Amino acid sequence: MSRLKSVLGYAWALAALPIVLATFIGLNSWARGFAELTGLEISAWFSGGKTAQTVAHEGYVTTVHEPVFQGLIGETKKGYVQVKWTPSAGASLPNQLSDSIDFDGDGTPDFIVVLDTGSDRAELEPLTPLVLGVREVLNLGSERAVRVNLLNPKRR
Amino acid sequence: MSSPLPSNRKRSVGKALLVTLPVFLLMAMMLMGQGGLPTEGLRAISLLVTFVFIVVVFFLMARTGLTDRYRAVFFVTMAVAFVITFITNLIEVRGSMALSAANIARGETPFCPMVIPMTIIPAALTRTIIFPGRMLGGFADISTMIVLWLGVTLALGRGFCSWGCFYGGLDDGFSRIWKRRVIRHIPKRWSYLPYGVLVAIVVISALTLAPTYCEWLCPFKTVTEYNEVNSFKAAAQAVIFVSLFAGLVVVLPVLTKKRTQCGLFCPMGAFQSFTNKVNAFDIRVEKEKCTDCKRCEAVCPTFSVDSESISRGTTRISCTKCGKCVDACPQSALSYHIKGTPVAGNSGKARLFFLYPGFIFLAVFGSGMIYMALYRIMLLAKTGSMIQ
Repeated sequence: MSRLKSVLGYAWALAALPIVLATFIGLNSWARGFAELTGLEISAWFSGGKTAQTVAHEGYVTTVHEPVFQGLIGETKKGYVQVKWTPSAGASLPNQLSDSIDFDGDGTPDFIVVLDTGSDRAELEPLTPLVLGVREVLNLGSERAVRVNLLNPKRR
Repeated sequence: MSSPLPSNRKRSVGKALLVTLPVFLLMAMMLMGQGGLPTEGLRAISLLVTFVFIVVVFFLMARTGLTDRYRAVFFVTMAVAFVITFITNLIEVRGSMALSAANIARGETPFCPMVIPMTIIPAALTRTIIFPGRMLGGFADISTMIVLWLGVTLALGRGFCSWGCFYGGLDDGFSRIWKRRVIRHIPKRWSYLPYGVLVAIVVISALTLAPTYCEWLCPFKTVTEYNEVNSFKAAAQAVIFVSLFAGLVVVLPVLTKKRTQCGLFCPMGAFQSFTNKVNAFDIRVEKEKCTDCKRCEAVCPTFSVDSESISRGTTRISCTKCGKCVDACPQSALSYHIKGTPVAGNSGKARLFFLYPGFIFLAVFGSGMIYMALYRIMLLAKTGSMIQ
């Protein structure tokens, strides 16, 4: 028994070097494999959520993301929705952007957001009691995004 | 506390060269295998100096039989190089060490292994990672860093903290500055604090779906990146980061000669301790040789050796396998050990079995940082700026 334990011990110890070498040599493949195998994504609290709808305007596109109410189990009472503006190729965003946003997809606008792209200040007109206010304005280089705080309609 | 070199651990120059040969070949392959030597002069010099440094350090380990003395030289150099490389890279790419809301939204935050314990419960329940980085692509993406951590953990267990952690070297370095300890007694109960911090940050991070430790408690934000200070909250965070760095990474290590951040606070270290259970290597004490001088207990930087563990013939679960106790023991009673094998008579072989994966990880992981830091320093000397 002690001889078997000894052989297993040495085998385990011998494997340590190949493990280290394989880690470095195959790092990119392992990393890709890890991402694919686990299917993990960045939490929507940081990424802004998946795209829900896009609206093309002259010179730019408005992207409305899915509202973020992610909780550890179920959904949270409060969250936010991200609205992003991306200029068309070769263009830049207008000085002022204004959009009516229907974040829950019920066909009626939930708020109107006006963004001054020079000062990065946003004004918000809530059209339903679910909309609380501007959470933050993000200057993403040529793009701009506004995150708007919301109440979760499912948790009211 | 230094000890005379035990003559039975030394190797002849020829044997030491032979033992170093695999490291020489592997590192030559790893460093120069991708495209050979750079054509730009400064880069070529940096790479050659890095390569020579790696080989010389390992040769000295092999020749003298001392592990920690030379490991620490490399480990501390890597940590300093990491700080130089990381900060200059941030300034080059982003123009600042500060992390803006836009950087966070774009997923531009480099991932570090410290975050791993906080991500596990949310990842299991929500299938998402609660960190503003990228799963793949970009600098220090999440998948790459997790794979690196998995590799080193399988090979070394908590050896990661002394052979892979780019932060640990700062703590280690400051703990070696003064010859004598000013604070000599630290109650054993403090060594359980990291487990408390671990439980607290894991629970709070899961409940808030945010990496609490990174947002509020990481001392190393002081020398890497921090949230843009544009609110009272961000200012409070910055004050906490700097205070923790000054206290746990600089002042206390100098006064105690211990790695106080690693041994008394770091939740990743606590988490990593459990991986020692699923690892082939440990440190063992031959009780027949031990004279109970307690030198090992005094020199252990992470509070991992005490009377109780010595009486069990081993170290505590928090052992980082740095080798300091092994170097310090005048009786050679402590040694590297392969689990399942006899304790007596195999110490040289077991040490070598551990040194190859341990040092190769440290060398490959650290070489990029040392190479770039050297390059930046030479660039500074030549052009007056570290930034290209």
